Amino acid sequence: MVTPPQRPPRRTTIAAPERLELLHDGTPVPPVRGGRAADLDATRVRAWWVGFSEQVRERAEELTELDRLAGDGDFGHNLRAAVRGADARLDRTRPGDVSGVFDAVTQAFLDTGGTSGPLLGMWFREFSRATGATLSTEDLAAAARAGLDTVQRLGGAQLGDKTMVDAMGPAADALQDAAHAHVPVVAALGAAYRAAADGARGTEALRARRGRASYVGDVARGVVDPGALAVAWFFERGTVV
Amino acid sequence: MSATTGRSDAELRATTGRRQFLNDRDDFVAEALEGFALAHPQLVTLHRDPDFLRRAPAGRRPGKVALVAGGGSGHEPLHTGFVGVGMLDAAVPGRVFTSPTALQVAAATRAANTGAGVLHVVKNYTGDVLNFRIAAEIAADDGVEVDQVLVEDDLATDPAVTGLDDGPGRRGTAAVVVVEKVCGAAAEEGAPLADLVALGRRTAKRSRTLSIALTAPTHPGERLPSFDLPEDEVEFGVGIHGERGVGRRAFSTAADLAEQLVTPVADAIEVQRGDAVLAVVNGLGSTHPLELSVVFREVVRVLEARGVRVVRSLVGSHVTALDMAGVSVTLTPADHDLVRLWDAPARTAALTW
Repeated sequence: MVTPPQRPPRRTTIAAPERLELLHDGTPVPPVRGGRAADLDATRVRAWWVGFSEQVRERAEELTELDRLAGDGDFGHNLRAAVRGADARLDRTRPGDVSGVFDAVTQAFLDTGGTSGPLLGMWFREFSRATGATLSTEDLAAAARAGLDTVQRLGGAQLGDKTMVDAMGPAADALQDAAHAHVPVVAALGAAYRAAADGARGTEALRARRGRASYVGDVARGVVDPGALAVAWFFERGTVV
Repeated sequence: MSATTGRSDAELRATTGRRQFLNDRDDFVAEALEGFALAHPQLVTLHRDPDFLRRAPAGRRPGKVALVAGGGSGHEPLHTGFVGVGMLDAAVPGRVFTSPTALQVAAATRAANTGAGVLHVVKNYTGDVLNFRIAAEIAADDGVEVDQVLVEDDLATDPAVTGLDDGPGRRGTAAVVVVEKVCGAAAEEGAPLADLVALGRRTAKRSRTLSIALTAPTHPGERLPSFDLPEDEVEFGVGIHGERGVGRRAFSTAADLAEQLVTPVADAIEVQRGDAVLAVVNGLGSTHPLELSVVFREVVRVLEARGVRVVRSLVGSHVTALDMAGVSVTLTPADHDLVRLWDAPARTAALTW
């Protein structure tokens, strides 16, 4: 008889809005001076991506449920299709640098229909553009800032419109602070995660003004925006590579 | 409940509802594209992964600005049927009623570019607008000059009618054929990208459309239409995606229904006595050519009564919503330039003269 391998315990739980509070511990990230040695290489960024991809594959239904309550219910399905496409591209192209990993992700997301997938694709594209062989905190800060600008320019959403921007914006600010304080990458990702999760949780109280949820008005109040939550998941998985 | 059979309307439609020629709904669009390319090898070449259609080599013109259009499938012959000399250089179909992906549009844009730039003709829908914009940015990074004409002609979704000032605005519908025809002709004459953009925007801005449905469309693999309509009512102000219109009105004669379409459109484009227009009477999928001819006759009658001349026309099913029964009326003021470009030769699967 074959014993199935034990799954490692999930490190965090952030999907359910009320459980998000527990994770946002508010602990300040200790400023640790890290040299280039602390930067992430393609292997570790790939591991980060795989963690995010697994989380999306396993928990897409939670995103779909949020979207069903406040949008048209296809977000989880579309995001799962996009990460599957990204995984297939990564398996096929096996990029040796960080920029290449994000480029494969970008191409996959730009190959999905709708609006959230392509917008996330253009966000990831800035991560590809800002990085080279490795990923530093400074690269991350530049990518998150440029990504936020691109998504806002293309999608037209402002902070507080109950969209993915509500997680991307605080994450960009947190990464900028982390870059100024010379925080190593993984710690910076932790700060970005906390800021993004906080932003995602904040969408619960908002009325949508952009995106599909804007069509249902007050019905969307009390529901976390699934795009913002997915952005928080993305940064979260970067803290365990 | 049917008085004669004693069955509910839903039961009746489940047994008598639409049947379709279809193998697998997931492959429906891909198989249709393949069939279309097989039927018109002298006109189009099918590119796979990402999917788009472009002119067959014989129709390509070096140095010409390329026209690329696209959108969800289900509107055929739009846009695939307009690929060829005098109209489009490439068409990019998405899944049924779903925007093509940015990657598809970017690939078609790069393929169609001859070095003179690419004009995107886009119908105003959120997904289409976003994915064409992204594709334009990606292509621009590759050194391709891209600009866009947005077609937004549907009067039923005009903010002045809906009161939604910060909504997505008027939908793009049948006027897209007029824009593709005149810009395609001008591109064939060698007009530069900037001139095509100006021509396309002027044409789109002056065109308005209004539509009526007699039945809702049925999605591939479905038996029931996307909404129910009582026998004595029509859906007024419908779009081309099977969504509900702006209201229900009483079913009536062709003369009466046509008048309800033409009058608001003529008012909206502010045609005066003595003006000339191009009139497009468009079937929405399963309306017979005889019915379209009857509607067109009424359109001419109403316009003549206002002293407006129909100097050019297009009557047929060109921008459809799957098998929806219904008709749209589009009017565009016709100046000398528009008529000349409209009359210029076209050789495509759906439009040739």
